[in-house]
Amino acid sequence: MNANRHWRIKNLFRHESILLIVLVGEWIFFDVVGRNFGTYDNSCDIFRHSCEIGLLALAMTPVILTGGIDLSVGSLLGLCAILFGKFWRDAHLPIPLAALCTLAVGALAGGLNAALITRLRLPPLIVTLGTFSLFRGLAEAITRGVDTFTNFPSSFLFLGQERWLGAPAQAPIFISTGIFFWLLVHRTTFGRTFRAVGFSPEGARFAGIAVERRMALTYVLAGVVSAIAAIIYTARLGQAKADAGNGYELFAITAVVLGGTSIFGGTGSIHGTLLGVAAIAVLQSGIVHAMQPSEMAGMLTGALLIIALAGSVLPKMISSLRARRSANKLATPIA
Amino acid sequence: MKTFLPFLCSLAFAGFLSGCGKSSDSPAAGGGEVSKTTGKKLTIALLPKSKGNAYFISCQKGAQKAAGELGDELIFEGPTGTDPARQNEIVENWITVGVDVIAAACENKEGISTALRKAESKGIKVLTYDADALPDARSFFVNQATPQGIGNALMDQAAQLCSSNGEFAIITASLTAANQQEWQKYIEEDRARNFPNMKLVAVKPCDDLKDKAQSETTALLSAYPNLKLVMAICSPGVPGAAEAVKQAGKAGQVKVIGLGLPNENKIYVHGGVTQAVILWNTMDLGYLTVYAADAMARGTLKPGEQNFKAGSLGTFEIKGDNILLGKPFVFTKENIDQFDF
Repeated sequence: MNANRHWRIKNLFRHESILLIVLVGEWIFFDVVGRNFGTYDNSCDIFRHSCEIGLLALAMTPVILTGGIDLSVGSLLGLCAILFGKFWRDAHLPIPLAALCTLAVGALAGGLNAALITRLRLPPLIVTLGTFSLFRGLAEAITRGVDTFTNFPSSFLFLGQERWLGAPAQAPIFISTGIFFWLLVHRTTFGRTFRAVGFSPEGARFAGIAVERRMALTYVLAGVVSAIAAIIYTARLGQAKADAGNGYELFAITAVVLGGTSIFGGTGSIHGTLLGVAAIAVLQSGIVHAMQPSEMAGMLTGALLIIALAGSVLPKMISSLRARRSANKLATPIA
Repeated sequence: MKTFLPFLCSLAFAGFLSGCGKSSDSPAAGGGEVSKTTGKKLTIALLPKSKGNAYFISCQKGAQKAAGELGDELIFEGPTGTDPARQNEIVENWITVGVDVIAAACENKEGISTALRKAESKGIKVLTYDADALPDARSFFVNQATPQGIGNALMDQAAQLCSSNGEFAIITASLTAANQQEWQKYIEEDRARNFPNMKLVAVKPCDDLKDKAQSETTALLSAYPNLKLVMAICSPGVPGAAEAVKQAGKAGQVKVIGLGLPNENKIYVHGGVTQAVILWNTMDLGYLTVYAADAMARGTLKPGEQNFKAGSLGTFEIKGDNILLGKPFVFTKENIDQFDF
């Protein structure tokens, strides 16, 4: 038991340290070839540009840890963004109240995913593929695809565009969300059961864990975080339109998987996800600073994913090969 | 080991946020220097609505030519996907890169304006082309076509093909679309003043659908046997009308002209069905935009000026803060193959 745990930690450590080396390598590379890449201003921009995807990836981690997936987060971001605009412009709610209502919508939408998955026992992939279209469709129907919410007060835009105490204004929200998820997944007995659920739902059930409730919570949290991301996104762009957050779900999933979380559930970490988000964000910005065509970012993200995953599997393969060879050596004299 | 790992990660994240403690090269200072010493190489960033769009690739061709003549560096970068935040992200990256001028074709008027204003506040010159931002977010808009220019070009072309005499019909996108109505207003104005013997017999909407334009044109051909010309003023309408005329066996006998894109009309233009496709010259649009961008950064083009000279294309009129590309371009059998969009 103890040896097994030790082996797992060692393995986890390996994946994330590889990712860290890759990230530092990326940074140094773009700092050398790019123009004004390694500046404080650009670091703030990289953070601002990846904040929403980072939030979605944080919330996606527990979902994937329990063996699920949530494809609806990007669409929900779009729906929440335009509802936030509606609450503020058409219902004349003050910004804080509109934001609160948006969070409630996010929780409700996450609750819908959770209910379909845990009550009706439908596969998460199918359920969230459905809500992926449903939420985006709702956003398009409500705005008829053309209505754009804009002219937000500058006190609200501050959240997405300005700096507070030298750091991007959205940093406190992102950091506290990050700490919340890290504590939940790594420091509470409640959150640690996510991995047990993902590793073996039946086993977890026999161990007395309320599997459905744990799974439901991860989807509700994903919904709430999508709403938070929607508000930050609206503040960053200064507009809310039905196409907000298009394709963000795939970026979030990529970051989570790049961060070492198994797509089958059971293993993974929040800090790994953060490294994954950073690695992708640095790449996206670096490409522009290096004056390279931005379509290369997609290609390199793919390559990064494969290198990082292969890199963490390789040591395992080598050690198992070695074990087999020594077993063969032992076997020869007998034969 | 267990506490070491999160520590390492947070350290990395902190390093990532602090940006290695390097101070930023202020683009404002760089820009100021450049405008004083004319002749220094400028970095001009050209933002298309979407990067793969043949229309913008054609603009880039002209822009590249201008940049070559001026000895400037041209960056052409734009969204490849459907993420509406991407244009903002590219502009914000350019701000830290420290480009001298940004010329943007805006997908989201309000959204991009926040990023463009930020660029201006950092001393980067900003202009727009093709699709404008909010007026307070840029100094100039390179306007590719005014409604009057389009209306007049269509009517003049129609009259020329019909020898200023005879019946014609219009295929429009919808009867309520504001831009279509405005073009029709100028078409009518031009007709009444210069071509009183031309007679507009029908205006039919096609809902921006090629199929509907085809069926409406077929109906028009049987309803008005003396029809000499069909004018489609929305881009799907032009190949739609041409297909109807071709299938009715009236190619050349009933002329087709319209506002559209060269590629989808090439086959009809070469087949003698469509006589003229009217749009603007996208290569000239890119060329003029880069010349204007260069002049803004060097301080030779300032708000309030009446005209502007752009290299080999000559002088362009400036109306308020709009630099006018001028008369629309007529694509015919002779020149249409030079354009690929």
